[in-house]
Amino acid sequence: MRTLQPSPPSTRPATGPARRHPAAPAGAPDCHALRIRLDPPVDDDLVGARLAAHAGAARLWVEPVADAADSPAAARRRDRELARPVAAGLRAVLIRYADDPADLVLVARRDTWDPPALRRLGAAFRGGTADPAPTPATDRPTAPAGGGPAWGLGDPRAGDAWGEDRTVLPGHPAGDPASWLAALAVLLARYQPEETPVVGALGVRAGEDVTVLPVATPDDLPLDALTARLRDRLAAPAEAAPEQPAVPVGLAFDLGDPADEYVPCLAPRFPLTVVVGRDADGHVELRWRHRLRAVSPAVAAQVVRHLAHLHRQVTAATPPPVAAANLDNPAEREKVAVLGRPARALASTPRRLPEVFADRVAEQPDAVALSAEDARVSYRELDEWSNRLAHGLRARGVRDGDLVGVCLDRSAELVATLLAVLKAGAVYVPMDTAYPADRLAYTVRDSGLAVLVTTHAEFPRVDGVTAVTPAALAEAGATGVGRPPAVTGGPADPAYVIYTSGSTGRPKGVVVPHANVVALLDATRDDFGLGPADVWTFFHSAAFDFSVWEIWGALLTGGHLVVVPYWVSRSPEQFHELLVERRVTVLNQTPSSFAQLVEADREAAGPLAVRLVIFGGEPLDARSLLPWFDRHPESACRLVNMFGITETTVHVTAGDVTRAGALAASRSVGRPLPGWSVRVRDSAGRPVPPGVPGEIHVGGVGVAAGYLGRPDLTAERFGVDPETGERTYRSGDRGRLLPDGTLEHLGRIDNQVKLRGFRIELDEIRSVLTECPGVAAAAVVLRRTDPDDPATGRIDAYVVLTEGGAAPLRERLRRMLPEYMLPATITVLPALPTTANGKVDRDALPEPAAVPATPEAPAEGAGDDLAGGLLGVWQQVFGRPVGIADNFFELGGNSLLAVRMAAIMRERGLPRLHPRTLYLNPTLRGLADALRSG
Amino acid sequence: MSADATTTAGGARLAGKTAIVTGAARGIGRACATAFAAQGADLVLLDRAEDLPGVPYPLGTASQLAHTVALCRDLGAAVLPVRADVRDLAALVAAVEQACERFGTVDVLVNNAGIAAPSGKTADEITEDEWSLMIDVDLSGAWRMTKAVGKVMTGRRAGSIVNVASTAGLVGYRHFAGYVAAKHGIVGLTRATALDYAPMKVRVNALCPGSVRDDHAVEGRMLSEIARSLDVPVAEHEETFLQAQPMNALIEPEDVASAAVWLASDESRQVTGSVLTVDGGFTTR
Repeated sequence: MRTLQPSPPSTRPATGPARRHPAAPAGAPDCHALRIRLDPPVDDDLVGARLAAHAGAARLWVEPVADAADSPAAARRRDRELARPVAAGLRAVLIRYADDPADLVLVARRDTWDPPALRRLGAAFRGGTADPAPTPATDRPTAPAGGGPAWGLGDPRAGDAWGEDRTVLPGHPAGDPASWLAALAVLLARYQPEETPVVGALGVRAGEDVTVLPVATPDDLPLDALTARLRDRLAAPAEAAPEQPAVPVGLAFDLGDPADEYVPCLAPRFPLTVVVGRDADGHVELRWRHRLRAVSPAVAAQVVRHLAHLHRQVTAATPPPVAAANLDNPAEREKVAVLGRPARALASTPRRLPEVFADRVAEQPDAVALSAEDARVSYRELDEWSNRLAHGLRARGVRDGDLVGVCLDRSAELVATLLAVLKAGAVYVPMDTAYPADRLAYTVRDSGLAVLVTTHAEFPRVDGVTAVTPAALAEAGATGVGRPPAVTGGPADPAYVIYTSGSTGRPKGVVVPHANVVALLDATRDDFGLGPADVWTFFHSAAFDFSVWEIWGALLTGGHLVVVPYWVSRSPEQFHELLVERRVTVLNQTPSSFAQLVEADREAAGPLAVRLVIFGGEPLDARSLLPWFDRHPESACRLVNMFGITETTVHVTAGDVTRAGALAASRSVGRPLPGWSVRVRDSAGRPVPPGVPGEIHVGGVGVAAGYLGRPDLTAERFGVDPETGERTYRSGDRGRLLPDGTLEHLGRIDNQVKLRGFRIELDEIRSVLTECPGVAAAAVVLRRTDPDDPATGRIDAYVVLTEGGAAPLRERLRRMLPEYMLPATITVLPALPTTANGKVDRDALPEPAAVPATPEAPAEGAGDDLAGGLLGVWQQVFGRPVGIADNFFELGGNSLLAVRMAAIMRERGLPRLHPRTLYLNPTLRGLADALRSG
Repeated sequence: MSADATTTAGGARLAGKTAIVTGAARGIGRACATAFAAQGADLVLLDRAEDLPGVPYPLGTASQLAHTVALCRDLGAAVLPVRADVRDLAALVAAVEQACERFGTVDVLVNNAGIAAPSGKTADEITEDEWSLMIDVDLSGAWRMTKAVGKVMTGRRAGSIVNVASTAGLVGYRHFAGYVAAKHGIVGLTRATALDYAPMKVRVNALCPGSVRDDHAVEGRMLSEIARSLDVPVAEHEETFLQAQPMNALIEPEDVASAAVWLASDESRQVTGSVLTVDGGFTTR
């Protein structure tokens, strides 16, 4: 035995297969071919006579080749004849070479001449005696090819082209078909853990061409027992299978005379078809053929490597149980782990946020730190202001490690207060002033706040918690301008607690230490070129951790933070004006908000100074960025998509979005930041190979301390990587590592729903929708007419269109998705509703429209008077008749619909609408009056 | 493992395709056959390969057909030679059946077989037999071949038919009424069949070569025979044509073959019913 490891499957670049073939002719997957070398002298007539004797109807075709048998031209001729299917019967081609030898190529349909019969016929030309009569086998149709397995990373543009490659495994035991099928079953159980493995094979059971077997793989079953079970099933008569499940990988065998060349299928019979054969030296050789649309060359080579590694365990002297089998050897597993680590190491010294801020104050005391509508605050002023507030907090009894609630409108005061809480040695708990009273009260009670800083008059009263205004704090701490209070906390102590609402259960407070935020800035500062020349916006709610990045990103790098008033943040036009006026350079946006801004940018005149846009908070549809690239080339403004989670300190990965990526509708979120790491694991916690979707686990310096007061939940989601010992967070997000080390984000795991027995990724439907021409944005939800009856479930889709209607969309979906994934309804909306954090608000999606809204002429005469004009606009926005007394918000209106409405009004020459006017005058009549008098 | 299947000796624009070329013994037929072979196609080479009573010059021979076959095999093609007359529908149907048995299917048909003479007369001087022969070979021959192969191509919803017409299919030439009528007929046949077959994804296009130089390698003799029909020396005839050529050059057989390769390949997959001139600009005047 020379070596225990399979030889490297391929030394070729991962970008292409060893051989690429154009679309195969019809019937190629159902035909097989055998080439036998005939020793000289070869007599055409004698060969013809034998053929006539054994396969009467077949004619012998003689094809001379002008070159020697070992020439490339001869090899091409052989390959060509071995790839040419027959419609019926048998084809026999005698290839005569310029030197003496000749090859006889026999091609037949497998369901007419089964593999043993074709072998016997071949042997007859070398003096074999067995009767080589054709043996019919039943061909059972398998499920339509479709798009291939989720892990295949196929190229959708490859059409019907297919690839081919091979690897030799010196010293590998050949085994029997059952042992290989056992290895394949374990492999599929790991690649698609949510499904029962279905293995396929050609010519492994008498009288059956394609064998398809669902195989149970219980964790404790020894691999040899699994083989024995399969052996029994292959020996039994064919099983009746009413419905053929999809078979992603199938096997075929060429373990006969190695002198012959046998091709079990002339094109891939399964998306990935692996032939177990022997090379000229008798070593086991795996040859694989795969549809490039379904399985990429890199993934195909990986599957074959895993198959070989598993087969070695299957055939070991003491085979392990299923659960203990390894897909790969430790060296390859380590390679996968390395894929999920950043390219660079992190250079960061753990410090507290105020310490880093103090450095910036010392460096540039007079530089602008903050600006709000009218106010400009220098670094020194902010430092002094926050010192006063910090002393005021200490005077109120705040001590190191206490939690201080902060519920203020977005303002300079809010920033100063957050900084003051940290300077006071305490931990800030930000709350959005727009949150419902119940949510605010819950947060106060759950976190056990010592003090609440707010100016919010209607903040709910909670016993034992005193509310204080920043003004009162400043007054109480007026003597402490010069320096902050003395505190004892370290960088590992918490800086803030942000409440996140999971899809289930109550909101939970995520405790994030100072050092995490400092590390985040250290990880990104150089790459993003962040410095004193940058102007940032404070756009997001302080209760959404994207603002942690905005505030501390600016203040810890010496930048200028522009506070965006709430009304401006809800008006893309006004926000755009602000970006132009304040020369903002670093912009952070959720993709939903950015989509609105892009629209505003198209119609705005002023030049933007933005050089860096960072996306976060929700999945990005890269294709929607094309209009932006048209106006702002990548060389002028860099777009970075970041995947992140509150529990891992805002961000985890970063990846540049390019025009090329946008055109390819890339779902990549890039690589982990220095100091962060990702692993994709199956539900049993085992790392899955590149290409295979699983749950994203995040490790490294960004992992939060845990959930406030929820040790059970903390233990459930936070853990330790068994291999590296670093703390990790189990994200609940689905993703996969690509072979190039970038991470693809595939949505939330809880977005995976089951409908009538089918497992459906709602995000997959959404992706297909957003890739349709004319679709600017989309959302997909699963609803039940009767919440207790799963049978009443249906998929509702919502789209924002730039052109076209819902009807062609449905037609396109029908071509892209299996029937069970088709949405029952497609509702056209002018804009998707968003939450306070700028993400799509699923709960606010309206009931689906049975008939798509027709955004055409309004029912009543419009235009002659303002109210009539508004009526037309409202009817277009809501897609149904409305009355003069209707209230915008009661009709289902929201801020984004308001923006859309303003745009339509402008198009129709109606007065300019500021969102604020609408909020103050929500009825149609009231609005008309307000506009008339304004 | 051999070289990449898509990089055969010359190229791979027709890799995996099987093409029937009629009139393959010499001339444009031979040029198309070898160009197709160099692009990875396998070939059915069809020719009458004997003289035809009523045609006043020698037609392609069996030896010339065998030479084309050998040239194509040297380029790596598998070749099925078939001797058949495009006036014999049954023989053509049998040839297509044989082609399918050998190669599985037919992807491309190049309707090239044709005669240039009897010509050199005004319309009233042409005899009934001369007229009938010209139409029977040059026009009806292409239709018969189309009929023989049509079902194969429409059945698999793929295929490309290249009809070799002529600039005589677009403009008139004095003393060539039969030839000009037949070639205009080819253009009409192309347009009509393109519409017939478009729903079945079979494409039909016409190629209109201008005056093609008599080339030694492909043993073409069209220009000589036209000169002879007009009773002028070949050199003088060439000179007359050259003066009418905007690009001041005669067409080479390989120019026509290159256009045929493109029409046969998937590169032209949205091209059907087109009439493509390869005439150095002759018909644009």
